[in-house]
Amino acid sequence: MNTLLLPVIIPALAALAIFLIPKKWPMREIFAVLVAVFNAIIAWYLFKKDMTLVFPWGGAWGMEFSFRLYGFSGFTLLATAFFALLIAIYSTSFMKDKEHVSQFYAYLLLILAQINGVVLSDNLILMLFFWEGMLLTMFGFIAIGGKKESIHTAVKAFIINGTTDLLMMAGIAITGYLAGTFTISQISLQTGGLASLAFILLIIGAISKAGSMPFHTWIPDAATDAPLPFMAFGPGSFEKLVGIYFLARICLNIFTLSPGSGLSTMLMIIGAITILAAVMMALVQKDYKKLLSYHAISQVGYMILGIGTALPIGIIGGLFHMLNNAIYKDCLFQTAGAVEKQTGTTDLYKLGGLASKMPVTFICFVIAALSISGTPFFNGFFSKELIYDGALESGMIFYLAAVVGSFFTAASFLKLGHAAYFGTPGESTHNVKKDVPLTMLVPMIVLAVLCIFFGVYNAYPLNAYFMPIIGAAANGHSFSGMPANFTLVIITILVLVLAYLNHKYGVKKFGAGIKAVDHIHHAPVLANIYNMAEKRYFDPYELGLKFVRIFSKASFSVDRGIDWIYNHLSVRATQVATNGIKKAHTGNFSMYIAWSLGGMIILVIWILRTVR
Amino acid sequence: MILTLILLTLLVLAAVWTVMTRSLMMSAVGLALTSVILSIIIFTLNSPLAGVFELSVCAGLITVVFISTMSLTKPITRTEFKKQTKDRIKRYWYMPVIIILIGLGCALMLTAPDLKPLTPAIENDVRNVMWKVRQTDVLGQIIILLAGVFGVVVLFKERKKND
Amino acid sequence: MALLLILIPLASIILLNIGFKNAMTKLAIWLSLAVSAWQVAMIIFKVGFDSLNLVNVFNLEIDGLSSVLLLSIGIVAFCSILVGNGTICCPKKKFNFYNLILLSIIGMNGIVMVRDLFSMYVFLEITAVSAFILIAYQEDKFSMEGSFKYLVLSAVATVMMLSSIAILLMYAGNTSFVMVRDAVQGMNSPLVLTAIALFVVGLLIKGGLVPFHGWLPDAYTSAPASVSAFIAGIVTKTTGIYTMIRIVSEVFGFSETIKMILMIVGLISIFVGALAALGQNDFKRMLAYSSISQVGYIILSLGTGTALGVAGAVFHLFNHSIFKTQLFINSAAVEKQTGTRDMDSMSGLSNVMPVTGWTSVVAFLSTAGIPPLSGFWSKLIIVIALWKAGYYWFAGLAIIGSLITLAYFLYMQRRVFFGKINVNFKDIKEAGASIIIPAIILAAITLGVGIFFPYFINTIIVPVSSVF
Repeated sequence: MNTLLLPVIIPALAALAIFLIPKKWPMREIFAVLVAVFNAIIAWYLFKKDMTLVFPWGGAWGMEFSFRLYGFSGFTLLATAFFALLIAIYSTSFMKDKEHVSQFYAYLLLILAQINGVVLSDNLILMLFFWEGMLLTMFGFIAIGGKKESIHTAVKAFIINGTTDLLMMAGIAITGYLAGTFTISQISLQTGGLASLAFILLIIGAISKAGSMPFHTWIPDAATDAPLPFMAFGPGSFEKLVGIYFLARICLNIFTLSPGSGLSTMLMIIGAITILAAVMMALVQKDYKKLLSYHAISQVGYMILGIGTALPIGIIGGLFHMLNNAIYKDCLFQTAGAVEKQTGTTDLYKLGGLASKMPVTFICFVIAALSISGTPFFNGFFSKELIYDGALESGMIFYLAAVVGSFFTAASFLKLGHAAYFGTPGESTHNVKKDVPLTMLVPMIVLAVLCIFFGVYNAYPLNAYFMPIIGAAANGHSFSGMPANFTLVIITILVLVLAYLNHKYGVKKFGAGIKAVDHIHHAPVLANIYNMAEKRYFDPYELGLKFVRIFSKASFSVDRGIDWIYNHLSVRATQVATNGIKKAHTGNFSMYIAWSLGGMIILVIWILRTVR
Repeated sequence: MILTLILLTLLVLAAVWTVMTRSLMMSAVGLALTSVILSIIIFTLNSPLAGVFELSVCAGLITVVFISTMSLTKPITRTEFKKQTKDRIKRYWYMPVIIILIGLGCALMLTAPDLKPLTPAIENDVRNVMWKVRQTDVLGQIIILLAGVFGVVVLFKERKKND
Repeated sequence: MALLLILIPLASIILLNIGFKNAMTKLAIWLSLAVSAWQVAMIIFKVGFDSLNLVNVFNLEIDGLSSVLLLSIGIVAFCSILVGNGTICCPKKKFNFYNLILLSIIGMNGIVMVRDLFSMYVFLEITAVSAFILIAYQEDKFSMEGSFKYLVLSAVATVMMLSSIAILLMYAGNTSFVMVRDAVQGMNSPLVLTAIALFVVGLLIKGGLVPFHGWLPDAYTSAPASVSAFIAGIVTKTTGIYTMIRIVSEVFGFSETIKMILMIVGLISIFVGALAALGQNDFKRMLAYSSISQVGYIILSLGTGTALGVAGAVFHLFNHSIFKTQLFINSAAVEKQTGTRDMDSMSGLSNVMPVTGWTSVVAFLSTAGIPPLSGFWSKLIIVIALWKAGYYWFAGLAIIGSLITLAYFLYMQRRVFFGKINVNFKDIKEAGASIIIPAIILAAITLGVGIFFPYFINTIIVPVSSVF
């Protein structure tokens, strides 16, 4: 069998196997980890190769089964495999005593197979098939969270993503119609007119999967209602990888986005708004996981901003940020999981003083938090600088939005760190005896190390992974090493210092780490906005639901009338007919024979009519 | 022509009597009688071999089988018999009427001029037909006989033991 | 090779009956399973077509349409034998059952392979005789009555077919398909047309279409469980429907009148069958009326006269034999475990008999034509064929018929399988392996053909059009 099929088939079969084996079997975690390892090995083997696999399937309507492995998809495959492996190792401890463990591992492998399918497929319709599969698997993931609200959140995620997927489907249909083919590598359209509409619809699908505004409202809910490893790799890494992968392909391959065009500006605006609004929400969260999830949304904004600039430096920045974000976001969520496992809660009011009790977790947290804030020499810094550079070239306001976002990011992480790890121990910290088991520590440590590694030695990822994607557009620029524009670096360092000062001020004013940003929370205009946000006024899903309720009441009355026709009239008619037929079948054989003979006579006469 | 008409009328009458008669034994006899008349008709159509087969199989073998089967059954009591044959005439009077009407209808509709039978080149030698041309049918007939025998064994062997 | 399909079952029967009663009784099931499995394997792997010279002697041919039927015969026979093993009480009766199944297989293989009207009649008789005995061999009052009804109406059908063959022989000089077609095409004489009409009526009686269906509900209901599955699954289809498809496409041709007759009869059957099924309380009787309805679809599709219509008819025939057999197997399981067929007294059986419940859901969804099961594809082809041929009203009515099908099956499912478990049946267990295995196999085939349909469209459907 062709190697390209393996990353899809092996995890899928393994997922099916886990579904079917009985619950008592203790080896399923090991099995899942082994499959993840195997997948990683295949991804490593396939990396840097160029392969295609095509077979016609059903033939009609451009439905071809074609996979294509090239630089970008090979890289994404490898990254996905890597994160899947880490999460699998992490989950062996974390999920030990939770419910629905079999389903968790099965969904994990299944979503891995589906992501591999999305990344590898070269045919829009085939990709759509795997994309939709991810939607269903995600629903399953959230639903097994075990909380009372899990099903509601799962439904919400399903509806939001499902609606955007429908729009994306329309986009795919238009694209296929315009281009004459559904094979991605053969499509290359100019924007304008109908193509712009297709572009926008496709973008909606991609960014919604990545989790940007305004399609983000399910992520914070999932933070509390879904099992934590799902949060680590779902909104944390996988979905970003897949969503931004598709976004990049749309902007680079399917359409060619030109800098300064209307569509580019639109993307940048979406990115900027996402950065700001999400980080403001993150600032005021009182729960570890919810805070991290809002940051996940915010970081996507950076990626969209970067790619939206349509400049080589911005695109490289956005893609590099995609990788970096996956690394440190995954690490952060894993620290949250470690805290949850040891203390039993993620409520910041109950935590505090964990630094001494869980030292390794704490160090990993610090490294990841520094990366996400954009501290020099960590990986986040380099990717953010590239994005700043690109944003600055496109417009001052975008740069400002990005920088302000960084400020708030740093501030909120200072608050989180202080509240969870420093300060007076909260009520739940007393139960903590030691740090989490090794299988949970190792992935965290690996990721933290990568944060530093990709920071200091950023030439490696940039040249190995990302330059080939941009290809000729790089024009010989080298993006590695220290950023070219030193002014930006100074500004970044200034922002970080400001954030630290702000934190100190908040702590002094309100007394505890967790209240460090309350002054922002209760600032005049912002306080009202925060109130409304917390009452979910801004949630498009909730608004949509309200609208749906009104609409349904109105159509209910119309429905009653139509109902009568269906429910009463046709049922009565059918019953009359049925009873008639039942009575006719008396069991009297002579009747039956008489019917047959009667039928025969009628048929013979009918046929003979043609003679006349 | 006249002979054929008489024979055909007799055939129909015998068949109707077979169906309508009250006693089962009389029905078996009537079946034999019908097939005798039928074989006479076949003889007049110049197919002696078919006539002989018809006579021996139907008038002879089948009647024997019927009568031996009937000997295995118990006769029904007189009251049941009376109940069954109570209003036979009233229930079934329309059947001969319909048959006659159908016959008239067919006669009227089918008097199109091209009713003359064709005489295509048919193989006449029976042995040739059976063994060379129609082998599948011979194989099939053998299997039918096998099936029939098997059926009789399955259905009636048990009964004999239970009795 | 075609001859082997007849000779091997025949040899098996002779082998089983020549002596060594005890050994043979034990051997019987394995031998009959082997024969039917061999038939399925032969067709799937297309082994040795035309490889034996004996083919020419016995004028048997296998083409696309025949191979679809042969495959169905093999599958249904295999499953019925397994079900028979599970439901029949005593070894002696089982032995007879296996022999009779083998006989029926001979008859049906013969029907689908001959190219001659009279030979077809002969093999039809073999099948009919074994069917009569199969229905009746439980020897209780109802089976005897059902068998008797089938016998008499079958005899009426035979009379019509024989007289028709006689008239056609008069015109053509031979009864092979080719020669009759040459003599009959375009001929307008009333006698030939009457002959055609009689033959068609005979086949309609055998196939169980309205208004010639009088025997069908009683025969299906009163037959023993495994026999019902076998007869409903394949015997009626082969003797009635396959013969109709073959004769109308190859011999009589699709004249306007024949097409309209088939379509009207098909449509009436759909509705009468579906409406009658809606009102039934007896599980098997409901399935019998449902069979009438589905066969109506096949004939309706055949009546369009286009290649797509014939392909849809054949595909639906295959699907119907699979899912109808499966439904009867489920009813056998239910009957064996609960001891009753009355749907009003059952409820919630799916809790104690999960495999039966879920396989029956697969089967009924396929009957109603729900994607992605196989029934959806065949119904879709039928509706498309009707639409393309311009019969818009018929297409719409066919879809409404599908809705009624869905309705009565949902009603059955709710009454029998889902809901709270009836207190009387709380302790029953799932039926034995002999009954479950065929149900699972057939459900898998339904699912497989449905999901992998794009693959099958080239291997089953397109070759069938070679008939055309």
